[in-house]
Amino acid sequence: MLEAKAITKTYTVKQKQGWFKREKQQVHAVKGIDLTIEPGEIVGLLGLNGAGKTTTIKMLSTLLSPSSGTITIDGHDAVQDARYLKQMVNMIAGGERMLYFRLTGKENLAFFGRLYGLNGKELTARVNALIKLVELEDAQDLPVERYSKGMKQRLQIARGLLNQPHYLFLDEPTLGLDAPIAKQLRSIVKDLAMEQNKGVLLTSHYLEEVEELCDRVYIIDKGTVMMHDTPANIINTVVLDYRVIVTTAHLNETFKHDIIKTASTKQLSIEFYDTGDGTVWEVTASFDPTQVFLDIIMTHHQPIFKLEMKMPKLEDAILQLAKERSA
Amino acid sequence: MNWINGMWAEMVKSHQHNFHSKMIYLSLFFWPVLLFITSYFALKPFDLGSTSPIAEFFDPDDLMLFLLTGYLGYIFFWSLVQSAWQTSYERQTGTLELIFLTPVSRLAFVYGRAAGNLFEAVWLFSVFTVLMLVIVGGMQSIVWSALPLAFVILIVSAVIWGGFLNVVFLFSRDASFLFTILEEPMEFFAGIRLPVAAFPVWGKVIAYIFPLTFVLEMIRGLVVEGKSFTELLSPFAWLVGILSLLFLLTIILLNKAEKNAKETGNMVLF
Repeated sequence: MLEAKAITKTYTVKQKQGWFKREKQQVHAVKGIDLTIEPGEIVGLLGLNGAGKTTTIKMLSTLLSPSSGTITIDGHDAVQDARYLKQMVNMIAGGERMLYFRLTGKENLAFFGRLYGLNGKELTARVNALIKLVELEDAQDLPVERYSKGMKQRLQIARGLLNQPHYLFLDEPTLGLDAPIAKQLRSIVKDLAMEQNKGVLLTSHYLEEVEELCDRVYIIDKGTVMMHDTPANIINTVVLDYRVIVTTAHLNETFKHDIIKTASTKQLSIEFYDTGDGTVWEVTASFDPTQVFLDIIMTHHQPIFKLEMKMPKLEDAILQLAKERSA
Repeated sequence: MNWINGMWAEMVKSHQHNFHSKMIYLSLFFWPVLLFITSYFALKPFDLGSTSPIAEFFDPDDLMLFLLTGYLGYIFFWSLVQSAWQTSYERQTGTLELIFLTPVSRLAFVYGRAAGNLFEAVWLFSVFTVLMLVIVGGMQSIVWSALPLAFVILIVSAVIWGGFLNVVFLFSRDASFLFTILEEPMEFFAGIRLPVAAFPVWGKVIAYIFPLTFVLEMIRGLVVEGKSFTELLSPFAWLVGILSLLFLLTIILLNKAEKNAKETGNMVLF
């Protein structure tokens, strides 16, 4: 298991004060985060820009040392045993950097593979298997500069798996990718956790992706954990607005008034809008109102023309949390 | 094994990345040849007879051999300043951080980088130099049996020098000032075009900062002047001393550079 306890990271930055003067300032990027990742689990790390996600990932991957707190990976201290742990972790970042553009995809993998101590037949077999996994067989001998964004990202995934890491940190892995490529990458990530029992930490601005993949989610803001739970629990805790939108035949005002009265006794709030297609009912509640609302409609014998249920998503939860934080 | 693997990885990558075109080899050949020719003809108009001041320090008839050996050594050392400078490219692309994400021996990385770039950058000019030594010096004037030892001294010294420079560039993104500091002074003071013995005391002090000064003294002594190794023990001892110091500094700075990067996150800054 990977366990981070009360980790902090403080940078000292110099700020210009005129021509020659520089003033040192302390920037607290991470202010005491507790986090765990079990093998076979996909954990999300969410937050707005500057929340401390990348700094946290870099500390977990041994690239940065925490200013205080401890990180242990399968019982090994990430600061004391950093060189040993580098065999057990890997990091994949989104974007088009972190590759040698003049080298082919295969040459890139062979280079990084050798840095992990692979050579000879073992290196060749690992590189070939990973190229197959990310479906780059046809482009393996092309220079990376000829790759599309999606191909570069798939090559990054292959690079991140060269050392067969126990824990993999993915920092915006689907950034700027087309939907089909992003879906393919999500499927690879899911398999890594489910079939290969790897612990995965994922940051992404695509919240549907996090909702789809992650078993648990940490929401961080300004370097601290605001919330930590399963995506479903976070939504249930944070989002109190469930909405159902229904279109029926035109209703007269007396009828609308009666329905509003009935609804209020059942803690539903209903608003009506008349459109060319009929009357639109917008129902909001702090719980899933579908059943209660359908009972009202059936009682009043209204035929339903159109029914739309807006279930709250993780995105709504994040927006709600951001709203509460700024208030 | 891991050490060799790391060095080999960096050497192969340097070849694939930096020497991907025949034009690069051509430029790495023509540039030193032009430097050598320019220096030779710049000295030609002066009095180089037996009465010239320079004759006090070496036989003016051996001017071409002096310059050839001087530029051979210079190219070895200079190519490594260039390769170290390219570390900034690794910062920009983020690959430097990925290298430090792996458990590879950091020393293997810096020396692999130095060795890889060295062999690629100098082999063509080395062939040219050896050919010119045959043509200019003739078979008799050169101590051919000493040539392998001279090359070993040159290669080992240059790789240790290159490793040190690589670490300096790892440490700071602003290390490119070394490019300016080392270019002209090294060419002038290390005894490439003029013998160090001809310099005033302050010039000699600067000259002895560069390991290249002692390397050239060894090469010229062994290959051109036909001295035995025991006759060259003094410059050899100095060379070993300077190289040991550079090696020690490389290890210390390397540890400090990685520690500093872990604290400041500066490995991705460029």
